[in-house]
Order: sequence, then structure tokens, then C-alpha cells
Amino acid sequence: MKKSIYILFFILSAIFAFQSFPVNAENRFPKPEFEQGHIQPETITPSPRLLLLEYLDVAVLITALSLISYFILKKRSRKLVFWTSVFSVLYFGFYREGCVCSIGAIQNVTLALFKDDYHIPLTAFLFFIIPLIYTLLFGRTFCAGICPLGALQDIVGLKPMPIEAWLEKVLGIFPFIYLGLAVLFAATGTDFVICRYDPFVGFFRLDASFTMFMIGGLFLIAGVFIARPYCRFLCPYGALLNIISRFSFKHMTITPETCINCRLCENACPYGAINMPVQLKEKEKTETVVRRYILLSIMVPIFIFTGGFLASNFSSGFAHVNPKVKLAKELKNNTNYGMGEKEALEITAFRSSGQSMDELNLEVAKIEKEFYLGSWILGGFTGLVFGLMLISLTVFKYHPDYSPNKATCHSCARCMEFCPVKPGVL
Amino acid sequence: MIKEDKKTKRPFDLWESIFLVSGVFSFVVCVLLIANYFQINRADPVNTKVLNALIERLEQDESDQALRTEIREFDLLARKAYFTNQWQIRFGGYLLLAGVLVCILAALMIDAKKTKVKEIELPVKKTYVLTQRNARKWLSAGGLMLAVTAMVFAYITHKNMEDPVSGEASTGNDRNTFVDPESNRSDDLSPDTTQFAVADTAKADTVKKLVFNPLDYPTAAMKNNFPTFRGAGAIGLSHKNNAPVSWDGASGRNIKWKTAVPLPGMNSPIVWGNFVFLTGANEVKQEVYCFNKNTGKIIWKTNVPKSTQSPKVSDDTGHAAASAATDGENVYAVFSNGDIAAIDHAGKMIWSGNLGVPDKSYGHSSSLIVYFDKLIVQYDQKKGSNLMALDTKTGKTIWSTPRKVKSSWSSPSIVNTGSRVEILVLADPGLSSYDPATGKQLWSINCTSGEVGPSIAYANGIAFAVNEYAKLAAIKVGDQPTILWENNDYLSDVPSPVATKDFLFVATSYGEVACYNTKSGEEYWVHDFEAGIYSSPMIVGKLVYLMDRKGTMHIFKAEKKFTLVGEPMLGEKSDYTPAFADGQVFIRAGNNLYCIGK
Repeated sequence: MKKSIYILFFILSAIFAFQSFPVNAENRFPKPEFEQGHIQPETITPSPRLLLLEYLDVAVLITALSLISYFILKKRSRKLVFWTSVFSVLYFGFYREGCVCSIGAIQNVTLALFKDDYHIPLTAFLFFIIPLIYTLLFGRTFCAGICPLGALQDIVGLKPMPIEAWLEKVLGIFPFIYLGLAVLFAATGTDFVICRYDPFVGFFRLDASFTMFMIGGLFLIAGVFIARPYCRFLCPYGALLNIISRFSFKHMTITPETCINCRLCENACPYGAINMPVQLKEKEKTETVVRRYILLSIMVPIFIFTGGFLASNFSSGFAHVNPKVKLAKELKNNTNYGMGEKEALEITAFRSSGQSMDELNLEVAKIEKEFYLGSWILGGFTGLVFGLMLISLTVFKYHPDYSPNKATCHSCARCMEFCPVKPGVL
Repeated sequence: MIKEDKKTKRPFDLWESIFLVSGVFSFVVCVLLIANYFQINRADPVNTKVLNALIERLEQDESDQALRTEIREFDLLARKAYFTNQWQIRFGGYLLLAGVLVCILAALMIDAKKTKVKEIELPVKKTYVLTQRNARKWLSAGGLMLAVTAMVFAYITHKNMEDPVSGEASTGNDRNTFVDPESNRSDDLSPDTTQFAVADTAKADTVKKLVFNPLDYPTAAMKNNFPTFRGAGAIGLSHKNNAPVSWDGASGRNIKWKTAVPLPGMNSPIVWGNFVFLTGANEVKQEVYCFNKNTGKIIWKTNVPKSTQSPKVSDDTGHAAASAATDGENVYAVFSNGDIAAIDHAGKMIWSGNLGVPDKSYGHSSSLIVYFDKLIVQYDQKKGSNLMALDTKTGKTIWSTPRKVKSSWSSPSIVNTGSRVEILVLADPGLSSYDPATGKQLWSINCTSGEVGPSIAYANGIAFAVNEYAKLAAIKVGDQPTILWENNDYLSDVPSPVATKDFLFVATSYGEVACYNTKSGEEYWVHDFEAGIYSSPMIVGKLVYLMDRKGTMHIFKAEKKFTLVGEPMLGEKSDYTPAFADGQVFIRAGNNLYCIGK
């Protein structure tokens, strides 16, 4: 219970930090003004990364995924998984500065699906799809040590404490909500919120706002005691992998042979992702379970509608995140982005664009309509996840021995070290 | 022997020492980086007092080369300091990263050396069903909490949420075109004066209860615009302080545009966003005009059909004496015969109706004011005076409070006393305060008499009421209002007074202006501008703008001593109060509307 309070405290702190620190991205030091004929050099836009190097990234991703899957499933080596994590942090993190990443690629794919004028880069699509394929084949080996965000948290997870199983379940809904929000904002062409609020990319680039450094620091400090807090309770890509991994073809096992129920691995998993043996005699009365199951199944459409209705109330609020909606509002209320007497850059840009207010307002009306529909879908999706979670907590799952929970297991291979059974012994 | 073992401390091994040192090092670097961040944020290197003083000196003597060199050196120094600071942050970042990496490595090494003893709890707990039950319980509680929080939050923020910007676009095709005055349905009006015709009934049906924080009044949007006669709250205060002080109507200097107003009206301009609004009327027509703030072009004019005959009016008031009001969505206009209408910013009539032809001389002339979702109308007449709040969306009466007062032509003001918001209304026999939410009279005090024309001034908890042939009274507002001081040397029958925290300015219609101490009533100065004044003075920053009837704007400092800043002339007669927005002044003069500024 005490640990649960720590987690709640951490989450509240993170939310508070989001609210408390305004982003200060203003360039406070203007260019000097020369009076003696000095011509300011033109601003140079860096050229894009070579296509060949982008394909190299994809090759590295496939190689790393293949290797780590091999280390987990065949070599059953935690050490090799750990060193792969170190490599990922160095390559995908510090060298590639956290971009392109599979988590953020959700937004590229979404934008490509909803906006005809956006063409998704092939590498972004591959970074999105390849880990999904590997997960379908081998479980969440991507999370184990290829994702630089997960790998970084895994490395700092020095004193992980288990948390209450029920709390793990409750907090498990947040990645789905975050996923829904990210899709909503990407589908409307508003923002890539996953990237904007990536708590670790600032460390990889050694460049971020003070707020994001603070949030990232909080996550890492919390990560020392609560294993992978971002992966478990926020990561939207993790939500996708959570679903796909349930159907994985060849998931890792704790024991290479038959489980002898020695219980040595019982507390090995810092993520609480080990299914303990459940005896048939623990099962509730079938009548009770069936009644509850039917009741919840009936309730699911109500959850979906309620969620949709509630979220639709926030559609205008969500829409105001959109820069065009924000611009129209600032122009309408003449509030000038709170800039006082000096005209805001956004307004200057709009005036020089030649677009009329009517055109802007019509565009904004379309965006707001999209948000209204999107908010219903987001709320409905959240209600559905909520309902399905409740149903899954009703179904009795029989486990005769210790096995990884395919949905939540990050395939980090820690538990394998605890298993006394060696391949071919039994 | 055992005791000795306990006392003996095991020395740190190499990795533990490294862990400790790197941990302390990282912590120190982290603290220094955070301190550096705050230091940089606080400093504004190119806007220091010294540099600004030097630049100011240079502006006085631009030929001073030594000073020029000194400024350059100073500027270079500031820039060097800035970039050094930037380098320090970057280098500090690398140091912190290195420190943390070493710390983690040491921690891993320490951990690797520890023997992992497996602890097994006996006996095996049957926790499966219990865990599932707990998870179901907490998930349900969490979901319920989330839903309730969302519902409460949605309810609280409903006004903002129900304010889609696209409302502007709903009639986007109508924009920039003239609305055919005849297109407005005159048969919308019901002969029953208590009924209102709502053009869009669907919109009216969907009106929901709005929630807002009363103490937000006046809102930032109101302050950024000029939504009412005499500005937000109608107390003669402009929240913008960058108005021009010099122009000339004859040569056109600093006159951005000038546009003829189709119909006459004694009302003053109001501004919201890119629009300036006026009304105009004669015996047969009543119109509302929307001007493009940047070009002066009339974007639309909307006819407000006459529902009944207009009363007899004098030339000094006309049929459109009351200024319009806006809330950023609609513009509201009222005319001499009590016809009232709401028109959206695209020129489309939302609702219209008639308040009943006022039983008083000169017709209705009290200007309108908006309090969130309520349109406040002061309807003082010989018999049956009342103060009412109409629903801005539908025009339906939300509350109507009878007033035992005589006819008046003053306008209501809304003031935020810090603890509550009050509507202050002046008419014979005195000043009354009303709760804008319910219309309940909060307090009243006898302080005036006669046919009251001027509206009140308010500052720092003191309201000032003045009327010709009566007196000037300073009233401490509150449940137990008290008259702080009185004076009857300089009284006004048309212009309203205006006040800052320390000074009260009373303009008389014969051209004299008196300045008083707000708390004691001590007279500081009197100045005769030698021209009649009907326009009300406005406080703009530290200046007072006062237009005389000949079209000369007298700009003087709001100070203890009379200091004239400028007297720019427009060259046309003006009895209207100017509006201020975005560094521009909007003045109705003659048959024109002027925009002054860039």
C-alpha cells in the first residue's frame, strides 16, 4: 500500500510539473544591429539526413531486434539483453537523438491515414510496423532493450519495488487514453503530442525546455524504484504492443523446460508480469462469474456512450490546441497571444499570408467538426477499454505453473536468471 | 565478539566510493545548472538599466562617438556573457550526463556483487480471486472518479467549451457583403412587447446554463477590446495605454481612415477584434453598422425593423443615442423607441424585440452593457422604471427589478469591488447597486436629483455621482454606503466624470474641467477649455482624453497639476466619447467615423 502511495505521488507530481512550468522557448537575444554595412548571414536550414543513413537505421533496428529476440529466446541471457539496451540507448538514443522512434511513428501513420497531403517517410512507417511484427512473433522483445526510452529506464531501474497488482491494472488504462489522445491530435493535424511531451528525448539531445528536463528527471528518479514508469503507465506504443503480444507466436518462457513450481522466480519480475499458478479450486462459482460477465457485457455499450459523451464536452478545448483554431480565437478576441502591444508573430504571419478571416474561419469550422467527432471516438474508445478491462478481470484464467503475462511482460529476461531448471535437464 | 562485529564498519570498496563521489558530483552539477537556468531567465542582458540609459543619452546627442563606442563595448560584453552562460549550461549538461552514467555504472557493479538470495513466502497465498476483485473495485472507482471529474470540469468550463471559434464561420459567406436591409423579417416581431423574436430557434433551444467566475469581470478579452460605451465596465477607463497624442483632421496627419456613417446617431463607437460598431437611426430606419477596423470599410449594415412609432426626440439625443455593446459574439443595440436587437458579428440578426416605448422625454438613451450571458438594460422612465437582464442568446428576460426612480438618461456601469461584482446605476434620487446574477438590489443611497444624464465614475472602491443642479458626491460603496465628501462647484449635465485611484476629473458641459482628490475631495485644479463638452473623458494610461464639441481632443496628464500634453484637432463637431484599441482611437465626429493612429 505504501508503495502504491509513492506511485500515486509520483504521477501527481508529474501532472503538477506539467502545469507549473511554462515553456520558455522565446529567443531572448536578438541579432545585433550593425551600422557599418555588415550583412547578416542567411539562416541556413540543415539538409535532411541522407536516405541511405535512414535505411541504415532500419537495418540496425531489424538486426537489433533479431539479436535481442535470439538472446531472450535462445540464449536466455539477461546480460546480453542488458548490453543490447546499452547499445540502443547509445545508438537510437544519443546518436540518433531519439528520432525516428516507433512510439512517435504512431502519429506519422495516423496523419498519413487521415490527411491526404501528408506522405509518410518509409523509414517512419517501417519503424512503426517492424516492432509490431516482431512482437507478434516473439513478444515484446522491442520493449526489452531496443526502444531507447524503455532501455534507459531499464538501466536506471536499480531498486525496483513491486506494486500492488490491482494498482497495476488501474494505471494500465492510461496508456490507452494517451494513445487515443495522440491519435486524435495527429489525425486532425494538430500536434505530435507524443514527441512534444517525450520525457527522455531532452537527455538524448541535451536540449529541452526546463519543464521537460524536470519531467524527464522525475521519471528517471521514479524509475530507480518503480520499474519503467513511462512504459507501463503512459507509453501509447506499449498499449498497442500489449494487445499484439497476447497473440505472439513464440513468447519467452520463464523456464526452458517444465516448471517445477519452485517459486524462486515469484518475486523476480519488477513489472509484476508473472502469472502465478492458480488452482482450479480458487475459481468462483460459475453462476456468479457468468452473471457478472453478462452484466459487464451489457454495460460496455453504456461505457462507450458515456465516454464519448464526456469527451465530446471537451472537443472545443481539445480543438483550441490546434494552432489555427488558436489563431482564429486570438484574432476574434483581439488578445494577441498575451503579447501586449507588440503584435504576435503568428498574427503577423497570418496577415502576410493573404488569407482572409472568412477562409480561416471556414478552415477552423472544419477542424472543430473533426475534433467533435474525434472526441466522441476517443471517449468511446476509452469506455471500451475500460469495459474490456473489467471483463478480463472477471474471466478465470487457469495457470498450473509460473508463466509470463504475455500482455505486460517486457521480455527483459530477469526472471530467467532465477529459474534453476536448465535446458535439457528435465 | 558479536558486539565488535556490529561496531566494525566495513570500509567502502572501490565501486561504492565511485558511486558516492559521482552521486554527489552529479547532484552538485544539477543544482548549479538549475540555479544557472533561473539566473538566465531573470536577466535580460540587452535591456539593462545601464544600457538603456546610455542609449537614451545617445538619442539626445547622436554625434557622441565616444558614447557610441561605449554602448557597443557594453553590448558586446553582454553578448559575451550570454554566450559564456550558454556554454556553461552545455558543458554542465555533459558533466551531469557523465556523472550520472558513472553513478549508474557503479550502482550496477555494486548490485552485481551482491548475492541474490531468494525469499519465498510460505505458505502459498491464494490471492488470485482477491486480486481480481480488488482490481475490479479500484478500476471501477477510478473510472467513476475520472468520469465525475470530467463531468465537473466540463460543467465548470462550459462557457469556454461552448465557444467554438467556428461560430464566426457559420455565416462566413455573408461576410464582406452588405446585408439587404429588407431581408430582415419585420414580421418576426411580436406585437406583444414582452416577446422576442429569435431568428434561429434551434440555437435558442440549445442554450445551456453558462458557468463563469464573476470575479473575472472584466475579462481579459473585454480589456483587450472596447466592448461598451466608456470601455469595459463603462467607467471611462481604457485598458490600453498606447493611444496617439497627435493628429490633424485638416491635413489628414495620423488619420488612418475616415468613413461616412449612413444614418445619424449620438452613440459612440465600440470595438471588438477587427470590428468597430456603431448604430444610426432616423424616424423611419434603425441600423447597426460594422466597420473593418483596419480599412474603415463598412463590412455590413443590418436593419433593425421598427416595431412601433418612435417617440419625439431632441436634436441632442436623436433616435440612436444609446451606444451598442458586444460580448465578442453578438453586438446589441437599442433605439429611442425601445427596439432592441442582437446581431452576430457576421451581420445576422439573432433576436430582436421591443422593451415598450419609454415614457419619458427624448426617448431611450441609456447605453447597453453585457455581463457574461446577460445584457443589462437600464430602463428608467416616468412610471415603471426597471433594470433588467436579458439573455444574450435569446433576448428573454432573466430578471427584471423595478426601480423607484425618476426618468434618467445615464448608463449602467459594472464594477468589480474585489469581493463581488455590482451594477451601479444613477437616477434621481440616488445611486443604487444591484447583483448582476439575480437583479437583487444590494444597496442604495440618496445623492442626486433632477433629470440625470451623466453616468458614474468609479475607482478604488469609491463611486462618484454628479448631476447639474444637484451635487457631486463621492460614495464609499458597500452594504453600508457612505458619502465621503460632496461638492457643488463644478457639475455636469452631459459628460460623465472619470477617476483614477487618486484623482477625479469632472468635465462640465460648458467647458471647465475640475480635478479633485478622490478621498478628501480637495480641489487640485480647474481648467477652462473654452469650448462646450458633451463627450465623456477617458483615462488612457496616465493621460486623460477629452473631446470638446468643436472636435478638439484635449489630452492632459492625470496628475495633481494640470499639464497639457496635446490638443489635436479633428475639424468636425463631436459630441461622442472615443474608443481606444490597439494603439488607435476611434472617434465619431460629424457624419463620419475616424480611425486615428497607424
